[in-house]
Parts: sequence; C-alpha cells; structure tokens
Amino acid sequence: MNRCIRGVSRRDFLKGSAAGVSALAVVPRSVLGGAGESAPSESLGGALIGCGGRGPGTFQDLARGMREHLGKEVRLLARCDVRFKKECDNKEIYTDFRRVLERKDIDVVAVGTHPGWHALVSIAAMEAGKDVVCEKPMTRSIAEGRAVVEAERRYHRIFQIGTYGRFGANRQTHKLMASGLLKECKAVVFRRGGFKIREWSGIVNPKPQEVPKWLDWDMYCGPAPLRPYHPHRFGGTHRGYWDYEGGGLADMAQHHLDGFNYEYAKDFTSPVEVEALAPPAHPEACGLWGWVELTYADGLTLVLDGGEWGPRYDRKQQRGVSPSDLAKEDQEKLKAMPDPEPLVSFAEAVRTRKRPGGHAEAAHRTATLFHLANIAIRCGRKLRYDPVKEEIVGDAEANRLVYQPMRAPWRL
Amino acid sequence: MTIPERLKDLVDQMPNPDQRGMFTTDVDKEKIERAVAAIHDGGREYVLGLIGMLVPPGEGDDAKAHYALHCLANHVLKIRDENARRQFGETLASQLGDRPKGVQAYLCQELQWAGRSEACAGLGKLLTDEDLCAPAAMALVAIRDGAAEQFRAALPAARGKCRLQVIQGLGAVGDRQSAVALREALTDPDREVRLAAGWGLARMGDAGVDALLKAADVEPGWERIQATKHCFVLAEKLAASGQALAARQIYAHLRDTRTDPSEAYVRQSAEKALAATKEP
Repeated sequence: MNRCIRGVSRRDFLKGSAAGVSALAVVPRSVLGGAGESAPSESLGGALIGCGGRGPGTFQDLARGMREHLGKEVRLLARCDVRFKKECDNKEIYTDFRRVLERKDIDVVAVGTHPGWHALVSIAAMEAGKDVVCEKPMTRSIAEGRAVVEAERRYHRIFQIGTYGRFGANRQTHKLMASGLLKECKAVVFRRGGFKIREWSGIVNPKPQEVPKWLDWDMYCGPAPLRPYHPHRFGGTHRGYWDYEGGGLADMAQHHLDGFNYEYAKDFTSPVEVEALAPPAHPEACGLWGWVELTYADGLTLVLDGGEWGPRYDRKQQRGVSPSDLAKEDQEKLKAMPDPEPLVSFAEAVRTRKRPGGHAEAAHRTATLFHLANIAIRCGRKLRYDPVKEEIVGDAEANRLVYQPMRAPWRL
Repeated sequence: MTIPERLKDLVDQMPNPDQRGMFTTDVDKEKIERAVAAIHDGGREYVLGLIGMLVPPGEGDDAKAHYALHCLANHVLKIRDENARRQFGETLASQLGDRPKGVQAYLCQELQWAGRSEACAGLGKLLTDEDLCAPAAMALVAIRDGAAEQFRAALPAARGKCRLQVIQGLGAVGDRQSAVALREALTDPDREVRLAAGWGLARMGDAGVDALLKAADVEPGWERIQATKHCFVLAEKLAASGQALAARQIYAHLRDTRTDPSEAYVRQSAEKALAATKEP
C-alpha cells in the first residue's frame, strides 16, 4: 500500500515540502514583497486569537513550520483572549479580536478560541487579508463552514484546519474513489469509540455564578445566547454545550474523520441520509448517544459507534473498497492513472498560494459529518440531506440547526 | 397555577442528573419518550403546567421540567402533527410578556426550535425589551415566515442593542420592504448598526451600489474591512442575478480605491472578480 507520510505530527504538516512560487498569487507582502509592496522582511507578523487550551501549541507549530520551510520567523505581535480583561493594553494583549485584525503588520493568525468563534474569527481574519490556521473543530454549524469557504474563495487567502489525519491517509483508496470508475460503493466504514461522550457532556442545571473580573463573558458567549456565567461553560469544559461546540462528537470527529474524508474522496460532497440512536437530547447540554449512520449517494456508509450508551450498532458489517471492486478493464484504467499529488502544507501554501491539504472546503465537509450526526441526535429523527444545497430535505425545523441565528452584532 | 399531580409524576420520570449534574447515567430512552408522549396527551393544560414549573436560572431546581419541555417541543415535530405543533407554539407564545424574564428567554429558545408563524406576534413584543430582544430576534430569524413584520413594527421604538438586533433581523430575513430603512441606517451614529444595515442590504442584493460603496470608503479599520466585504457580497449577488454592469462597477471601485499596500489583497481580489464577471 502506498501510504504517504504516516504518523507525522501537526508541526511537520505546518512545515511542509518545497514547491514553486506563483508570481501572480496574492502573497502576504512580508513573504515575497514585489512591485509597490514593502521589501520582504525577515519575519512575518503573527497573532494568536484564543490563548487557552491548544491555542499556544497551534501558534508554535505554525511558527515552527514557517521558520523551517520559509526561513521566516513568525513574531507573535498580538495575543487576544477574553480572559485578558485586566491586562489588555490593545498593543500586544487584546480581548477584542477585531482590533487585532485591524493591524497591518499581522500576516498570519492562529485561531484557538472555543469553536463557537472559529468560523467568525477565521472569516474576519481572511477579510482582513490574513492567512489562517484554525484549531479543530472548524465550526459550530454547517452554514458557518460554507461561509468560511466563501471567505477563502473571495479573498484568495490560505485556510488550514488544525488537524492532519488526511496527510497520512491511504492515497490508493483516494485514487480509486476519486477516479470516478466505482459507480456504486459498498464500503461500510466504522469509527468505533474515542468520542469522549461522557467526558464532554454538559451540566443540565448550572447555578449561575459571578463573572470573574478578568473575563469578558459577553465576548466569550459571542454569537451564542448570553447565558448566566458558570465555570463549566468555560475553559475546556465548554465542549459540553451546544452553544459553543457539540460534545465529544464535535470535539473529536474532525480528527477522526479527516483521513476518512480524503481517502474516500468526499471533500466536495456530503451524505444524503443520516440516522442516529440516542435518547432525547437536552436543549443546552450535550449528552449521550449510541450510534450514527451516515450514507452517501454512491452507497458508502459511515458508522460512528459511540460505545458509551445503548446497544452497539449491528445493522451493517464493516467492508472496505479495493480495485477488485472494479471490472478488469477499469482496473487497468485505474493503474494507468497518475497517483494523487501530495497534499500541500500550510507553510508551502502561504508561499505558493496553492490550497493546503486541510483547506476550507475539505475541513467544512468533514465538519458537516459530525454536524449532521449531532442534528440527527438532537432531532431524534432520520434526516435526508441535500449535499449541493446544503439543506436538510423536508424538515424546516431541523434546518434551523444547519443555519443557526446569531446574537448581534455577530453574523455570517 | 396548580400543577396537576399526574404531570408532576410524568416530569419526575425524566432522568436524574448524576453527581456532576449531567444526564450521563440513568438515561432510559423509552421511559423518557413514554412520559413525554403522556405529557403531550395532557394538552394545553399540561404545557402550561410545565411552564409553571420553570424558574429563572439559579432560582431553584427545574432541571426535569426544563428538559421535559424541550423533549415535548421535539415530540410535536417528530409526530408530524401540525395541529399539535401549532397548539404547542401558541401556548408557549401566550406566556411571553408575563413570566419571569429568565423563563421567557427559555420559551423564546423553544420557539426557535419548534415555533412557526403562530409565535411571531408574541416574540415581536419582546424586540424592544433589552433583556429579551436577542432571544426573541433569534427565534424570529429561525422562524422566518412572519418575522419581517415584527422586526419592521419594532424598528421605530427599538433603541440601543434592541435597535441593532432588529436591524440585523431585517437583514437576516431578507426583508426587501425595509431596504429604505436599512439605507438610512447606513449613516447611523452606531458603527454596529451601520454594519448590520450594510450586511442586510448586501445579502438581499439591493442595488443601492453607491450607498454601499460610500459606506465602505471610510478610514482604515474594522468598519472598512467589513463594509468592503459587503460590497463584494453585493457584487456577487448582482452578478448572479444578471446585473453584471453594476457588479463590475463595484469591483472596479474596489480595485481603484484600495491602493495602500495593506489592501493589495482587496485590490487583487477585485481584479480577479472583475476578470471573471463578463460585460453584458
């Protein structure tokens, strides 16, 4: 099996490999310089928005990749977090990301906020001309993902999701699935366990507490409803609330499914049916579920088997795909096709303006998988999905979870 | 009001939070669903009873009633009985205005989940309430059908954050009848209101090109970045609806005015869009 770069770390993929430079590309001025632009500097300006949890690691990985690949230092010029209310100076330390993005000297941004902010901050950064590495999960809703894709396209910026499973995925499976030769896919792919369902559940009746003086709670809540403060809604355990994320499923599945989405060539489409086994969901707190079955138009089935509640999934047996699923003639055609191009790292993408491996559409389609799964869990009914219109078919109320209204002034 | 004993028994069948305060043990799907179906069978009296068991956050333990009401909202959608769903929506909407604000905010949230046009008038009354305008507006945007009239009616009296929420709501539901009001709001003293108005006009493809371009030619900063985005969005909408000339006017303006090196990415994005938008 031809496997590309198995077991490589986040840092390696942010670093990347050599590639040519497109002279017409809109490269950050401090990377290449050019006519009418300032001369290439020795360093790039960087910002970290969301400094808890994985945030600092995401920025360090980004900086290391740029240094090793481009020979450029990324200077951390601005750190922004809602917990900096007391120390905020609006020069190096911020609580409001908008002020960071106004700065002309920042070229790249690492987004490490809670996921309810990922899309809005990433979009705003690209609108301000910055390239972006965004921690997983990419978004809190399907519509947010589409908006990130549109911003990436509109401004020709680089967006890379902070998970790299696809860089180690099976390229021969990808080649087969992307070839168009397999008309009907009988594969049933399982992802069993690893969803941290109980760990990332929410408290169902949190008693309001006083907002700490160092915290901008309104900004933390952002587009979500302004709830009374409770420490469990903050600082990692935010994962247990629909307002900010979507439980262990949303937190882990971007990792687990990134490789799947690439291998099975589903970076530009989504399932057409989704069904879940779960008890009735709580309105605010994420909770238990058993399994979710997602089916694509070509027949491919993806099963997420939580293993923390209810009976195990037993509707279908696991099955892969191989060239032997093709007719002899098509097997020869497949052999004659070139192998897939290696995926482009973030650093390489910044330099060449090529799309990185974890670009916005790919990350969005992966995120759509767990968003659909969570919608099915929350609605408790089988759903049909139109992967082109990106709408749930014939269920207006379920669609309210595809496009979720936001609290002003935040909007997509 | 007096809560029926039978309803109390049914609500008590909801799961008990574990020692962490979560529903992660003692969760019996069939038991919950049977109890919720029985609450549904109790009709309006039981829905009102459930609402009567709710308390504002921090003022008591209503975890089971809170959960049961949401399960009921989902139940009326699952059984696909429009009469039942509408009655549920009407009952919740009828309680807006009188209950404690923390409870009303939760009712708004459940109407966002399962309400339709029957809930709009009740939600509309909250659009000028500083504490409730956001949850009411979010519910109306989710419902859409019948929401625009409520936002329009609330606009003259809405102040501060309510005005911002209403302006954003008009844009979110794409109310073309409000285009004039939104164009006026482009010069509002409040930056966020100006931006919300520009966002709404761009989304609805309103051909007020000059107004949006003017709004985007402000000093460098967040407002300029956002208003420039609105110009791009409007141009894309115009091009998609066959108004290539107007779209090209926007792109050409952005190309010609974004001359500072820090805005090279805007200039070049506009150039590319211009090249891709053929003259009619």
